[in-house]
Amino acid sequence: MRVCSELNDTHGPTAEEKTSVPNVSRVVASQKTRKHMKLYCLSGHPTLPCNVLKFKSTTIMLDCGLDTTAALYFLPLPLVHSPRLSKLPGWVSKDGAVNLEKELKECSGRVFVDSQPEFCLPEKELLDLSTIDVILISNYHCMMALPYITEHTGFTGTVYATEPTLQIGRLLMEELVTFMERVPKAQAATCWKNKEIQRLLPGPLKDAVDVWSWRKCYSVQEVNSALSKVQLVGYSQKELFGAVQVTPLSSGYSLGSSNWIIQSHYEKVSYVSGSSLLTTHPQPMEQSSLKNSDVLILTGLTQIPTANPDGMLGEFCSNLAMTIRAGGNVLVPCYSSGVIYDLLECLYQFMDSANLGSTPFYFISPVANSSLEFSQIFAEWLCQNKQSKVYLPEPPFPHAELIQTNKLKHYPSIHGDFSSEFRQPCVVFTGHPSLRFGDVVHFMELWGKSSLNTIIFTEPDFSYLDALAPYQPLAMKCVYCPIDTRLNFHQVSKLLKDIQPLHVVCPEPYTQPPPAQPHRSDLMLELQPPPMAYRRCSVLGLPFRRRYERIHLLPELARSLVPSEIKAGVSVATVSAVLQSKDNKHVLQPVPKPAPVPPSKKRKRVTEEPPEVLNPKPLLSGAVPLEPFLAMLHKNGITEVKVEETADGHILHLQTEDVLIQLEEDATHIICDNNEPLRTALRDLVLRFLQKL
Amino acid sequence: MDSDCLSLLPAVCLVLADPKQSPPDDTSLEKLLDWFKELHSQSDGQVLLQHQPCLLEFISSVCMSKTTDPAILSFTLKLTGLLAATTQELHLFDEGGLLVYVFEREAWGVCDLWEDASVRSGWLQGLLNMLKHQQALGFMCGNGLIKVILQLQNDRSLFVACLANQLLVHILNFLTSSNMTNGSDVVGSSESSLRPDWVAASSEIMNAVVEALSSEDHPQVLQGLRLLSLVLSKCGEPIISTLWKDVLVPLEVLVNRGSESLIQTLITVLEAALGTPLLSQSEYKVEELLEAMLGDGNRKECFHCAALIVKLEKCPEVLKRKATDIILLPLQCVSTQPQAEKEINVVLKEQLSQKASCISLLMQSLSSLAQLAHTKYLFEDISIHSITSSVLLLLRMCSGHCPTSLLHSNAFTHLIGCCKVQRCGLDTLGALSVYEEILDLRKDIFGVLLDYLQSPDSHATVLKKTFQAVKRWIVCSPFPDLLQFISHDLFPVLEKRMCDLRWEVRDSTLEFITQLTTALNGNSGFTEALHISGMVSVLLSSLADAEGYVRASAVAAVGEAVTASSHQMVLVSNSKLLDEALVQMMAILSQDTEGFPRRAVVQAFTSWLKGSHLITALELSLSSVLSLGGSDFDWEVKMHTLELAEVLMEKTLTCCPYAVQNFGSSEETRFTQALIKFKNFGLFDLLFNSLFDCDRPVCEKACALLVKLRTLTAETADLDNSLLVLNVCGNRWGDEVQRRYLNKQQAKASVSVTNGVTGSDEGTDCGLHSTKDISLPKILQILDLDDMQRMLTLSSDHVVNSPRSLMEDILSAAQHSEENIVDCY
Repeated sequence: MRVCSELNDTHGPTAEEKTSVPNVSRVVASQKTRKHMKLYCLSGHPTLPCNVLKFKSTTIMLDCGLDTTAALYFLPLPLVHSPRLSKLPGWVSKDGAVNLEKELKECSGRVFVDSQPEFCLPEKELLDLSTIDVILISNYHCMMALPYITEHTGFTGTVYATEPTLQIGRLLMEELVTFMERVPKAQAATCWKNKEIQRLLPGPLKDAVDVWSWRKCYSVQEVNSALSKVQLVGYSQKELFGAVQVTPLSSGYSLGSSNWIIQSHYEKVSYVSGSSLLTTHPQPMEQSSLKNSDVLILTGLTQIPTANPDGMLGEFCSNLAMTIRAGGNVLVPCYSSGVIYDLLECLYQFMDSANLGSTPFYFISPVANSSLEFSQIFAEWLCQNKQSKVYLPEPPFPHAELIQTNKLKHYPSIHGDFSSEFRQPCVVFTGHPSLRFGDVVHFMELWGKSSLNTIIFTEPDFSYLDALAPYQPLAMKCVYCPIDTRLNFHQVSKLLKDIQPLHVVCPEPYTQPPPAQPHRSDLMLELQPPPMAYRRCSVLGLPFRRRYERIHLLPELARSLVPSEIKAGVSVATVSAVLQSKDNKHVLQPVPKPAPVPPSKKRKRVTEEPPEVLNPKPLLSGAVPLEPFLAMLHKNGITEVKVEETADGHILHLQTEDVLIQLEEDATHIICDNNEPLRTALRDLVLRFLQKL
Repeated sequence: MDSDCLSLLPAVCLVLADPKQSPPDDTSLEKLLDWFKELHSQSDGQVLLQHQPCLLEFISSVCMSKTTDPAILSFTLKLTGLLAATTQELHLFDEGGLLVYVFEREAWGVCDLWEDASVRSGWLQGLLNMLKHQQALGFMCGNGLIKVILQLQNDRSLFVACLANQLLVHILNFLTSSNMTNGSDVVGSSESSLRPDWVAASSEIMNAVVEALSSEDHPQVLQGLRLLSLVLSKCGEPIISTLWKDVLVPLEVLVNRGSESLIQTLITVLEAALGTPLLSQSEYKVEELLEAMLGDGNRKECFHCAALIVKLEKCPEVLKRKATDIILLPLQCVSTQPQAEKEINVVLKEQLSQKASCISLLMQSLSSLAQLAHTKYLFEDISIHSITSSVLLLLRMCSGHCPTSLLHSNAFTHLIGCCKVQRCGLDTLGALSVYEEILDLRKDIFGVLLDYLQSPDSHATVLKKTFQAVKRWIVCSPFPDLLQFISHDLFPVLEKRMCDLRWEVRDSTLEFITQLTTALNGNSGFTEALHISGMVSVLLSSLADAEGYVRASAVAAVGEAVTASSHQMVLVSNSKLLDEALVQMMAILSQDTEGFPRRAVVQAFTSWLKGSHLITALELSLSSVLSLGGSDFDWEVKMHTLELAEVLMEKTLTCCPYAVQNFGSSEETRFTQALIKFKNFGLFDLLFNSLFDCDRPVCEKACALLVKLRTLTAETADLDNSLLVLNVCGNRWGDEVQRRYLNKQQAKASVSVTNGVTGSDEGTDCGLHSTKDISLPKILQILDLDDMQRMLTLSSDHVVNSPRSLMEDILSAAQHSEENIVDCY
């Protein structure tokens, strides 16, 4: 049996044990509210979020995205010796005062750091990372900073993720590590980060922020250790963590991608990260469960709101076909999982129709093989159309057929088999989209000089102009077709209209039009009430009206209750019990019988003494009707009564007895000096009109 | 045929009148009525009712029956009207008082049948059928039917209401027509003025219109307005002016009330009034009313009204200017910079802030502008320059480019990516190409159009409209940088669009190239650019597209490119193009699984042949095309092949260039040589095969061509038959010819025997045995082409569609239903 009570205490529940004497009559009167939920924003990047939610004494990290755009400040890591890159002049300030020849190189008119590329981590100073109880991962792109959070920070919690997220996330991390470790750099450049020196550097290095927090890539050991803390969950599987329950929901963006519901009995927070409503390979987005949220944390909208994925896909195909027809090669710098599956599927149909069936596709990545195979085995995480193919003798994705017919070939790297089987013109899919490391660097050096070739950017994470900066001058054609299937502003405003959250929290950029298009008021969130915006290092108090708590009643206590029906269907009973609160769970226990005080000689016995138990007075309900009450007084010999009407009720002046009776809606006062028997008699008369509990 | 049918008529009448029989379907009854109508028109004064007494019996039994089906009653009413369309017949009806009985619904066996809309409609149609003479009108007036018709004008069934309106107009017209005064069948027509009951009838109708217009009941007002516009467009004087005088006051009230739902109908009324002499008389206030409809441009409805007025053909100039100013307001308002803003209309502002009304207003504005441009309307208060700039700005806004300062940011948000406005705007932009004054804006115009062609988000339908606009602007007047623009700006975009994912886009790109090539035919620079820029090879590669429609368009585009090149003699240096095109097109014709590309190939050959520059180059392929096309599964391919054959015949027989060179001077010899050429091309095989094809249009076309050939052979006296002998063995048409040949031989032989002639005076191979070779003129003789042609012109269902078969169907259906009843027991 459960009862609800309205909370009254102003102290937040803690994990310590607390006892108190319940006083039901006081509970009912309380209406106080307060903000008790906080959001710590460790990343300002809208699509690579890392937020921490403190909710009911639980500290929950929502995603830990790694911002790899810092790599753009570094020189590319060539896989094959590049005479061009090895002979770059070092950088010396014009007056010769600062000489960083070894750390900085001039390339194509820009200065780059000659060191292993570094990444911008989520903020570590805002919050003690060891206090994090749980990390919820929404998709494999948003977990790349995991080793930085879970390793060497004292983290002891659990990481929740779906299986494809874990497996593909592992692939992406391993790929990143391989890219770095394959081309070791002798030393790390640090002098340039010195504030005094950085200020003198040419742009854009001069303007780079938080450079001291940039870190090198993690190691395989760290990846393994971090991923060992992952506990797998399935869609809609409810996981209890302390007082909160977390549930992943399909978000439709990538294999295994999820949004999360974090809820207690009376509060619900939805965390919407990269989601998509388009029909691509993953399971469609589950929307209805997001309804009735008190707070919705919204991240991971499309990065290129003006580029429609369908149009971009068309652009991708026609540019590819034009290049191949003219005898050129096509380079597609991409991640080894995600949009590439859709690109291959689209090309599978398109190549034949464009009469380019014999052009080979190469997919080069240390994890190419696993990525292609994994996509085929996660059947339950795929869209319905692909799921149904599992029951047919054909694989869900058509790239299997491309491999079988030798149209698509995959290699771990350009070294080895690839070099002997390589045939041009061809299409190469390879990483990393930043063009700073991975096999793509080699193809840039190889194909950059011919205008027959084309590089087609499909990943939206990097500015293509910045990515191309160290390769200038470039003869090859560049086409920018960012394919971002995440929600756009139009879709999200429709979604929010449907699910109606009370409050929306989102990254600051979503609350204003894109800086490049200040008039596009359609490219921002316009909500009522306006969304709460956050930026890196913000700490937001979430506007919660926390009013109810669920309290469990122990069976023996429940048995002792004597409910009395005050109106149809509503029964009331008083209870005297001890309220025990632990880990946000509240239990009403019978009052322990006072243990017979053992004869003891100890002088002090403060602790463990049960509280004094008082017999509670009966509770009263009802109202005292004026006329019958006057009649009753008359019957009892009190005849001279002067009635005065007040704002709240009436004041009765018993003139002979010199007694005042204030009859109010919720209280009756008898003011009677030094005549206890009369007061008692009058009280009893009042009580005749009231019900007792 | 008719006598056959007439003999069946009594039985049919019995079946139709039999309440136990379920009535035939509506179509059969309608066909039967059509037959009666035809019969009636051909009767030459013979009275059908006299010869067919069964009809009167049928009519009276249906009306009296207690169990008549509504469909049969409706049929009967229409039939009665039809049969009473002459005075003579009317008298026959009247003799027995039957006519009153038929059209007086209280007299029917079942009065409730009036509730059925089909019966009411039949009743009206019957009266309409009958209203051919004065007596009919007298009958209606005398029996108070006008009142019923006026009631039906507000019938809940729209068909009935519409028919009632038509009938009323017909009555009014009839009253004023010459029939009433000096018509041929007028009895006692000495009086020139109308009979008093007729005057009463016409004023009854007119009063009803006035009453309807003054009514508070919306549907009644609508019906009144509809009748008024019908009267205005169908009747003459004095009806029009009399009625107009009466309705003017309520009409003014309606116009000033400005109710949205009446606008369309009010405009129709005023439009009809514009076409009448009322317009020229100021007291009739036609123009004034139209102007009142427009108001000051500050009512929600005025834009709709203005859009309608702009479309009016006979609209007074002043009014048109005012409407134009109003209809252009939304366009100007959205795309004008704030400083140039005139006084901004609050209503308009509010309308533009809502998505649906914003889009519909702009579309009205744009399409009206296009309409005006089609007539090359001269704008006065506003320059065509600024209008065009507004359209350009609007189109830019639709693709997300925001002007620096904006009057209506809401409107801008509604417009981004709005295909409807884009399509409409592009149409308008294309239409504006008629104004030479804006040629200096061409750079901006092509800039916007190129943006649309390049944008990855352009919808396929938007791209199609863009292509149309580009074509119009290129074609409207040549400009110095045209070729530069085409080869540097346009061709690269087209090349990309030909690799588009969407087949619709690839298809419309190819269509555009075809149209452009046709339009710029004669421009040697363009043809050169086509070759130099590599477009031709892109076109050739499109011949292998995965989509049939695209292949068909590619065939057309390549065909046009070849034609253009041949005209410009570029082909001499690019004979590779023709060779490659021929190889690929022949492959399509012989192997393509879809009909469209194959049809396109044959059409391309036809157009090449028409051009006549290419005949020699095509000679080798022609026989293959004729044989492949003639044996295609698709009847349209066969038709196109016959068209090709026709062109080939025309070209060869009239002014064949090579015939002149190769053959002797004699006209006959040349003709014989041409026929030999045809034989070598396989043209005769094609024609004869097609003559016995399973598709009627193919046979018809082949037959027509053969008739033409026969005429020519007959005209040529000394045709050398031995040179034109065709083998009639081993093919379908040959067997048919042989069969007919033998039949004729047999017939001839039997005639000879009866005539006692044994020997053959013709001394030919007339023994009763088959022959392998027959000369062409002989074959043309054997085939009874004229008879075949006559048969072929009849539609294929002429047998089953005859009235006789219709009646037989009705009878046999009745018989079967009886059998079925028996079966049930």
